[in-house]
Amino acid sequence: MLSKITVSHAPHIAKSYSTQSIMLDVILALCPAMLAGMWFFRHYAVVLLVACIGSCMLTEWACNWIRRKSNTLDDFSAIVTGILLAMSLPPALPFWAGIIGSVFAIAVGKMVFGGLGCNVFNPAMIGRAFLTASFGTLMTTWTVPAPLDAQMPALRPDSTVAVTQATPLAWSKEAIKGKAEPSVVVAQRGDAFIGRVGGCLGETSALAMLIGGVYLLIRGTISWHIPVSVLLAATICAAIGWLINPDRFVSPEVHILAGGMLMGVFFIATDPVTAPLTGKGMLIFGMGVGALTMLIRMVGEYPEGVMYAVLIMNAFTPLIDRFCKRIPAGGKGNG
Amino acid sequence: MTEDQPIKVVPHPKSVSILLSQHTGVICKPLVNKRDRVTAGQMIGKAEAYISAPVHSPVTGTVKDIALQPHAVLGREMAVVIDTDAAADTPILPASEQFTAGFDSSSFSTEQICTAVRNAGIVGMGGAGFPTPVKIEPNPKMPKEILLVNACECEPFITCDYRVMIEWTHQVMAGIKLAQKASECRRVVIGIEDNKTRAAEALRQAIGNDSDIQVAILKTKYPQGGERQLIRSLLGRTVPTGGIPPMIGVCVLNVQTCAAIAEAVVLQRPLTHRVVTITGRAIAKPGNYYVPVGMAVGDLVQHCGGLTDPAARVILGGPMMGMAIADLSTPITKTGGALTFLTRKEVTEAKYQQRQTACIRCGRCLEVCPEHLNPTRIAHSVKAARLDIAQDYFLTACIECGCCSYVCPAKIELSGYIKTGKILLARQKKKIPS
Repeated sequence: MLSKITVSHAPHIAKSYSTQSIMLDVILALCPAMLAGMWFFRHYAVVLLVACIGSCMLTEWACNWIRRKSNTLDDFSAIVTGILLAMSLPPALPFWAGIIGSVFAIAVGKMVFGGLGCNVFNPAMIGRAFLTASFGTLMTTWTVPAPLDAQMPALRPDSTVAVTQATPLAWSKEAIKGKAEPSVVVAQRGDAFIGRVGGCLGETSALAMLIGGVYLLIRGTISWHIPVSVLLAATICAAIGWLINPDRFVSPEVHILAGGMLMGVFFIATDPVTAPLTGKGMLIFGMGVGALTMLIRMVGEYPEGVMYAVLIMNAFTPLIDRFCKRIPAGGKGNG
Repeated sequence: MTEDQPIKVVPHPKSVSILLSQHTGVICKPLVNKRDRVTAGQMIGKAEAYISAPVHSPVTGTVKDIALQPHAVLGREMAVVIDTDAAADTPILPASEQFTAGFDSSSFSTEQICTAVRNAGIVGMGGAGFPTPVKIEPNPKMPKEILLVNACECEPFITCDYRVMIEWTHQVMAGIKLAQKASECRRVVIGIEDNKTRAAEALRQAIGNDSDIQVAILKTKYPQGGERQLIRSLLGRTVPTGGIPPMIGVCVLNVQTCAAIAEAVVLQRPLTHRVVTITGRAIAKPGNYYVPVGMAVGDLVQHCGGLTDPAARVILGGPMMGMAIADLSTPITKTGGALTFLTRKEVTEAKYQQRQTACIRCGRCLEVCPEHLNPTRIAHSVKAARLDIAQDYFLTACIECGCCSYVCPAKIELSGYIKTGKILLARQKKKIPS
């Protein structure tokens, strides 16, 4: 009888979720956006998703093998990174570029720091930043979504020439420079909400991202702090520009719906590993991401700023955590 | 699963082991020798310090040995082992029938109550085991104004206090009045959770129109039965970190402690028996039992029909804070309100059998920590042998409720690391031998 009895620290019961189930939740939440991407960009989306997810997993396996560490693929975090990276790339990006980005994202973005939980920066954004620096033109070539492009042949792999188009954010950048009218962009906001505009694979459909984000919030997988603070800060910054000069700056709702804002809000900035731990810290972090994104979009050279905003704020996470150190309920006591 | 099981008396076993350390504070000095004859209720271990409590024999019999016995918290500790003399021993039954409604504490003086409580060896029966006389004695430096009766019993599965409140209502009320008198508290608040409405009703009826005593119903929530949490829920006051309730004029007593006070003062009966909830899916006959202190867990298991086949973990206490024991000869102590028997399936489903991953910094442990600590930071500092950082993040303020481990999706034994850290720190400060 005794031989069957085991001991351990209390507590002896636990909640039934796990790291794996949280990752699966995120993957599930990304499904609407993945499906939207496949609908709008057909085979481009499928190829890129497969290339990124596959190479992310393979890289993680290889890094563990080289370091003689046990396999960590079953925590599913590599899949999440792969999906997020693919979603943040232009649809027509050659698959080999996606693979290079994935290898960099996992190897340099995550595994050199010690794997899941240890990385300082969001791995998918590291991968994307690397690709932006390496393949500038490829990374700013935006394919017109399939429903708008009669010439985009559905699922014909040999066709590589697709019609390209400027994204709403590229238009808004032109507007800031005085080369276009903001109204051109504002007119696109309905299309941006559904996803019938040029842009990154998964970022174009605001609706699909919103569905996934709300699912994560309802499930309690992410807390409200970061999404709310990013959106708030971004709206305030965009509104300031718009109110000062509506002839140059587009209205705030366009900034929220276009580009990677919603993906950043729900999936990138909320990555728990690279965000602060406390609610107060998350609010500061989110405000930073929102404000920096808008700063880059409205003042900087790039039309899109979510990636750099998140990466910059990632670097501040340890500082924010230190700044927002929790005081016990009973006060600091005498040590 | 045991809330509707009335308290049943367990016959005295062939032998009991009375641990000399069943409380917070200095260990008792044995008063008996090997082969001495002892009678039920006789003091066998003497408290020689202010923060200590004597122990008594629950049975009549002969001292077989004074030796090390398994102790759930301390590993091994000295105990008086007594062989019951079946011919001379008489069963000791609950004394609840000797208390009736309208108990009047005015015939007992404060000194009388405190002496009786001290001699009876009463300690906090909710689990912490702090000597009760130290708590209720008037202390001019820290005058108490509110007596809180902790009737929350917030750990899942445990129902012994609930049964005591229903079956021994008048005894509990008598104890509360005596404690109120001794501690000179103006007001008494009984904090009870909303899943124990029947007990609350029974107490309300027994209180009648005594305006000094009120019953406060709280939303059921773990770990509300922790005294710091209870004070916060009921009074909105916060006990300072590292401090104790009397610092803010509060005295907290558990329900069964109150019942023991009544027995000690009115009937001069020492604390030798307590109600223990035997629960879990791995025990044949779960229920609430009136058990002599010192009875081995194994004997109790036998009395309750034995373990069912897939038993995998025996826990002294509840599933959240209880100590898992490997040795079934571990005796029941004054502080142990429950024995939980988990099946293999329950244990396998629990965290430590599942695959552990690295901390993903999700922050769930911070969210649930009732003391607003940063469990992941403390635990990982302890793991890295950096007690300085752990202390910087208020390691010692942890109340060991286990909520952080419970919610951790990465299945990290946060609470275990933190407890380890506290022990290492105490060793460093030479408070306990290594």
